[in-house]
Amino acid sequence: MTHMHIPDGILPVWLWLSGLFLMALALSVCLFSLRSMDAKKKIPLLGAVSAVMLVSMSLEILPIAYHINLSVVAGILLGPALGFISAFITNLILALMGHGGITVVGLNTLLLGSETVLGHTLFSLMGQRLPVFWRAAVVTVLTLFTTTLLLIGIVSVSHIDVDAVLHGHEKGVHAEAAPDPAISTFAIVVLSLGSIGWLIEAAVTGAVVKFVAQVKPDLLKHRLHGRQRSPGP
Amino acid sequence: MAGSGPPGHEVPVMIDVARIDYWAASGTGPLHRASALSKVIFLLLVVTASVMTHNPYPLAAGYVVLLLQVASSRLPWLRVVALSLYSAVFALLYGLSLRGGSMAYALLILKAVTPALAMLTLIVSTPYPKIFGLLSTVLPELLSAGLFMTYRTLFILLDMMDNFAVSIRLRGGFSPGSIYQNGANISKGIAMLLVKAVERATRLYAVMAVRGYHGSMARTGTGGFRRDDWLPLGTGIIVLTLVLIWR
Repeated sequence: MTHMHIPDGILPVWLWLSGLFLMALALSVCLFSLRSMDAKKKIPLLGAVSAVMLVSMSLEILPIAYHINLSVVAGILLGPALGFISAFITNLILALMGHGGITVVGLNTLLLGSETVLGHTLFSLMGQRLPVFWRAAVVTVLTLFTTTLLLIGIVSVSHIDVDAVLHGHEKGVHAEAAPDPAISTFAIVVLSLGSIGWLIEAAVTGAVVKFVAQVKPDLLKHRLHGRQRSPGP
Repeated sequence: MAGSGPPGHEVPVMIDVARIDYWAASGTGPLHRASALSKVIFLLLVVTASVMTHNPYPLAAGYVVLLLQVASSRLPWLRVVALSLYSAVFALLYGLSLRGGSMAYALLILKAVTPALAMLTLIVSTPYPKIFGLLSTVLPELLSAGLFMTYRTLFILLDMMDNFAVSIRLRGGFSPGSIYQNGANISKGIAMLLVKAVERATRLYAVMAVRGYHGSMARTGTGGFRRDDWLPLGTGIIVLTLVLIWR
């Protein structure tokens, strides 16, 4: 749910321009922190994880219009900086395929990138208190809940008046006016259907991370701030 | 490689990259002969038109113009149109959160499908090395290398998904009604695909490194304009003009 399939020209210009600017800023920070990265090891990993994210995003779970993202898996495997870059690559390729507008790439990257960063951070903070499946699953639910609230916030501030969209009057956003019942409906739909999606995503993420920890544990042992992290039990 | 021949009955993946790659590499129409730069400018003109307009009619006319361009360029226009309509589904989902009538929905759908058709026109008529070569001129090396590796790994994954779907069925991995069992098998399948994709991508990168790849595309730069660029540039200008004069 934390990926906006909004076409070009719907969101206010200030919002998508801010999204693109913030994305460029975040990408610059990520690229700076990765300047001494082992490209031979990390670029294939970046390509593989981003490709798996792309494939998973194209598989829709029809009854609830949800697709899994695997963004938390990307964060755990790639780390925050490379995970954010993976979010950018995924969103750019999706936009090139007509899955969301080009102008929305900035906001979508910020949303998906925040999932990778938050997922990685929470997974690291949880230490080894829980088995790896449950750790990844709990982190996924917490991360998706947080970023879904961010999504609702963005849609709420972007909620342009239909009259403004149709006739070009800049009437501002609904957030400044009376509470918008459409936003409440949107929030209820996203949170209720999304919570089913979070559980599906949590189960898939937990299973994927557990499998990786068993079969290829070195993928989970990337360096984070100079110290080696182990996958745990 | 999935993209090396005409894609047949592979696992239906919505984004259909294997088919797109085949059309881009095998076409000989006027759009294929136009430069990547002109087609990117054409895309930007259509996106600008879509951002600027508040009226569904010029966008509908613009969509028809784009459709004529695709059809006259010997591209599989019916399939390209079907792919562009995919974005309308998501636009309608967003439309649920807007209060509006049929005009609002029409505008929303046209704002989704018109730039989507322009994007598809670009990617089905331009081989991926040219697109990535052009992107390499504006993106940092790590981003363009990541984009390139992702795109190539996607084809490897699609091949593996074919095999995975067949083998899981042969071994009785899908049992109707057993959601838990199916979910567990699919999750393990995704995990296995991920691990295998990492291994294959690492091998691919190593092979490319041996052949001289060091993170940047061999053919970079805009490539300049060509005689056939009149078609995408002219179409883009027509769409933008429609939006500017039809208010």
